[in-house]
Amino acid sequence: MTRPDAHTTAPRTWKKPPFIANPLIRYGILILAVAYLVWAFGSLPFNWARISEGLPRAARIFSGGFPPNLERYELLLTGFKESFQIAILATLLGVFLSIPFAVMAARNVAPMPIYLVGRAVIIISRSFHPVIVAILFVAAVGFGPLAGILTLTLYSIGFVGKLLAEEIEEIDWGQVEAMRATGAGYLATLFYAVFPQILPRQVGLSMYQLDSNLRASAVVGIVGAGGIGSTLMNAFGRYDYDFAFAILLVIIAVILLSEGISGWVRKKIW
Amino acid sequence: MLEIKNLVKRYGRDKAVLEGLDLKVEGNSVVSIVGASGAGKSTMLRCINRLVEPTSGSITLNGTELVNLKGGDLRRARRKIGMVFQGFNLLDRLTVMENVLAGRLGYVNLYQAITRRYPQADIERAFMLMERVGIAQYANKRADELSGGERQRVGVVRALMQEPEVLLADEPTASLDPRTSEQIMMLLQSLASELSLPVLINIHNVAQAKTYTERIVGLRHGKMIFDGAPTDFNKDALDAIYGGIEAPDEAVSDARTEERTHDPA
Repeated sequence: MTRPDAHTTAPRTWKKPPFIANPLIRYGILILAVAYLVWAFGSLPFNWARISEGLPRAARIFSGGFPPNLERYELLLTGFKESFQIAILATLLGVFLSIPFAVMAARNVAPMPIYLVGRAVIIISRSFHPVIVAILFVAAVGFGPLAGILTLTLYSIGFVGKLLAEEIEEIDWGQVEAMRATGAGYLATLFYAVFPQILPRQVGLSMYQLDSNLRASAVVGIVGAGGIGSTLMNAFGRYDYDFAFAILLVIIAVILLSEGISGWVRKKIW
Repeated sequence: MLEIKNLVKRYGRDKAVLEGLDLKVEGNSVVSIVGASGAGKSTMLRCINRLVEPTSGSITLNGTELVNLKGGDLRRARRKIGMVFQGFNLLDRLTVMENVLAGRLGYVNLYQAITRRYPQADIERAFMLMERVGIAQYANKRADELSGGERQRVGVVRALMQEPEVLLADEPTASLDPRTSEQIMMLLQSLASELSLPVLINIHNVAQAKTYTERIVGLRHGKMIFDGAPTDFNKDALDAIYGGIEAPDEAVSDARTEERTHDPA
């Protein structure tokens, strides 16, 4: 409690220790980062002439978009209906299929070879952005909603599967031991000791995934996988900028709404 | 009759936790196993129902050798061994009745288990046992809504639903307050005689061990150093078991970490 030197020496100061202790490395990294930025900007081929030519074009598109035109609302409704169908079907399929893959990818309930397979499936389905997957599926099954559903199902398996697997790895192991001690088989143990523990998380993730799939279904539509994205792309292709802007506004409104609803549901369930 | 012969358990390359243990439990006797944490009590109990794999030795229950069983044979053998846990290990989000019926999981098929269509006899037995221990009114409550003593009663009933031939209790009272833990000990004692069931209880509370059980086994460093009636369990025996080891109370947290590391996966 006493501070013997306090009155004999100068007031003691304190500074937060630097994140990187060695000053040479600290300033070296800083200089390298700045040098790289300068070099990168200098070497990338920005064509200022073309950019300045493009600006009036952008202005034309924007002015062509105002006021947004909702006259062809039937097309818009059809597009959204398809997007919702894609999102809902993909969420149901994806969430359902993510359960077995999550079990396979959880180290504490899956034997090593199965674990590796499960992890591989999840890593592969997470390693590509939905747009890239959609391009592949459009090439494989043709234009239309089926490609969208397959894309988003894979996307959902990757995302929900990974988070569920982590949830399974953190369950209270005592319940599993208790079920094993009764002589319960592997599947019965899963259904009694594992699934109830991950259920709240599962419901929350499904809500989030529905939300996320709705958003993504608009994006994958642009590469031909059906839904409102395809409607939007067609509108742009025909220079119907006013209709395209109307679609964009409605997409924003729908996403806001779905985010609000899913947030509210998740809060209720937690 | 449960008979353990020359049981050895070694984790990895470490010094053996159990160094050739012999134990015979007959009839409906209630045996308490005392010892400091790390003495191997929990390991011994878990070797019996193979939540922990024994390194070598033999364990027979009414003539069935348990050590080499695999797959379906192991599951069928486990049905005959009830277990009660320190942390209760109830299925928290399920109802009390589902927890109790889970004791029948070794007997029903997967469809019956998932749809909760248990045979009528199981449901009768569940109500009968729940009434016996005083938790029948909670049948449809979620297990995590109950108090500690009530939760342990659910644990006991779940184990008894298995129609076990032996009951193992791994520090069943360590998470309970003193009065509740006495009630649970009394319950285990009377159930043993009602159902003529041998019961093995790991316990830290020596006073309760002497009061509620008819035989005390003392372990230290994986070896049995005491086996006798509570009246013979004197100061010397106590010192031999706990001597040189401080405060056996600390064992509670130790035992938990120990349980974690035993996972046979």
